[in-house]
Amino acid sequence: MSAYGEFETMIREQRFLIEGLTEMGYRVEEHPEGAALIGYHGDERPERAEVIIRRAQLDSASNDIGFVREKDGRFRAIVSEYDRSIGYDDKWLGKVHQHYKEKQTLGMAQAKGYIFRGKEVVQTPNGPQIRLQFVVR
Amino acid sequence: MQQKTITVLIDETGNSSVDLDGFAGHGCEKVLKDFQGDDFAKVQRKKPVFYSQTSEGQGRQLKSGR
Repeated sequence: MSAYGEFETMIREQRFLIEGLTEMGYRVEEHPEGAALIGYHGDERPERAEVIIRRAQLDSASNDIGFVREKDGRFRAIVSEYDRSIGYDDKWLGKVHQHYKEKQTLGMAQAKGYIFRGKEVVQTPNGPQIRLQFVVR
Repeated sequence: MQQKTITVLIDETGNSSVDLDGFAGHGCEKVLKDFQGDDFAKVQRKKPVFYSQTSEGQGRQLKSGR
């Protein structure tokens, strides 16, 4: 044993955000210049985002969910109060981060030559945790 | 030689912990940095083996330099 670290995940890489959301079952739109979010009346909202889950995939009274890139390079989720109240809340955003981090870790490891040895999903009272193991070539 | 393994645990909020096994000396710092990526470090620490193997290595260097 030689080192240990704990890290707070920052969503910065769009392709891994898309991969994670896709694995969660969403069809995701990418808009390099940003596109308007649509509200539950079909109205165009003032918020714009680079990554969008359209409301048709959510609830009949949902608004679009967007992920907008901030000036520091991080993505911030735009979720309406209504959608937060029906389950697209912090717990859901935690799952988004979890899927993102898994994809980002696997992508980085492959690019840098680490050898992937396996994935295990560990059930805990707070929800599933993902364990990934690698070895050094 | 002990295999160098990296275990990443991603919790339900998406935050991660990274545990390195079998590394000696400063090689583990680059590996830890790779797995941290752009994430914010909340906790980072060396384990006892890091120090013991580093000081052993330094001792050998001193002896061979005489």
